[in-house]
Amino acid sequence: MPDAGDSTVADDSDEALIGRYVRGDAAAFELLYRRHEMRVWRYLQRNLRDAATADELMQEVWFAVARDASRYLPSARFTTWLFSIAHNRMIDSIRVRRRHVSLESLGHESAEVTRQLIADPSTSPVAAAVARDEAAALIRAVEELPREQREAFLLQVEGDLDIEEIARITGSSFETTKSRLRYARTKLRQMLKEYA
Amino acid sequence: MTEELDEIYRRASALDPSRPSESVRRKVLEHAAALAARPRPAANRPRWRPAIFGTLAAAGLAGLLIVPRVFNPHPPANSADTAVPAQIPPDADAPPGAGAPAMAGAPPTAAGAPPFADAPSMNSAPAPFRPPQGAAKFRAIAPADRQAAAPQEEVGNTTASAQPASPQTEPSAALRRAAETGDVQALRVILGAEVPIDAPDARGRTALMLAASGGRA
Repeated sequence: MPDAGDSTVADDSDEALIGRYVRGDAAAFELLYRRHEMRVWRYLQRNLRDAATADELMQEVWFAVARDASRYLPSARFTTWLFSIAHNRMIDSIRVRRRHVSLESLGHESAEVTRQLIADPSTSPVAAAVARDEAAALIRAVEELPREQREAFLLQVEGDLDIEEIARITGSSFETTKSRLRYARTKLRQMLKEYA
Repeated sequence: MTEELDEIYRRASALDPSRPSESVRRKVLEHAAALAARPRPAANRPRWRPAIFGTLAAAGLAGLLIVPRVFNPHPPANSADTAVPAQIPPDADAPPGAGAPAMAGAPPTAAGAPPFADAPSMNSAPAPFRPPQGAAKFRAIAPADRQAAAPQEEVGNTTASAQPASPQTEPSAALRRAAETGDVQALRVILGAEVPIDAPDARGRTALMLAASGGRA
């Protein structure tokens, strides 16, 4: 049980929150979960292009965080640890899915997400519609990147990780990771120019 | 340009209506709360750590004290200042009637004495010479009376060599003990009583072999 006066503070760092959870403060875990919920989910969903599988992995990732919280070492950032768990679960899932699902079938979800973005019912001003179109195009472009480039890009923008951390998580060299990020960003910029 | 791309991506993410399932959130938070409420293993509780470290330190200290004795079971030789009369307990001065048969049931009287006279002592301090009651009688016998006492001793020693019983029952056990510990004064007293010097113990070791093993041959 948390100590008296050990109330969870919303602006606590991730590392402080996981420490509180290890000491029995379940509210700290909830705050941590809500803080990173969408980032982890988007990382999974845009890599896998399948919302159901992303949900399944999302649950596995956070179960692992809760179970192994006492093993977390504050020497590394919490987000690095969190996204390394997500990466490992996702790689395992991709390996299993390759045996059952063809890659073509994975593209349907991407097209559906793009359609939802474009057909947002809140559309009213023309500028907003253009922005939504641009956003939808970018999301589609991200999902069409080669897997390694897409993963590196999503780890950077969703996990807020630097090149060294991404290289460590993906098991790649620093230079390889840097090249993947450069290629990914070049392609996305080119797509945006074409869209404009 | 990098910041612009990231900004467009963040805007696109904000507009993306895709969301994780609400049931996932509920399951995750319930699971986390259940784990938080579960008592953690004792080893992870901070208040147990001093006790664990204290136990380990005590075990380590005990190991440091025991290991040298295991690897060096033979204590160093008695120094010359270990006087025999001072080491003989009062009950060792038994009446002259206490002969070899009486020694068979005589238990060790001092706490530091090993249960068997030939057993190597585990104490680091030199084991005091503690002759059996028969040896005390030998000391009490005057040189003039040795002739008379000799037949009785020979009978006892013959019996002992024919049937190597417990080393404590033999007068030669005192000789071997004195040879092993290097107690010169005790050796003089025992040899004066014409104890057979080559009588082996249960493991076939004579007084000479024991003295040689201690570097005192």
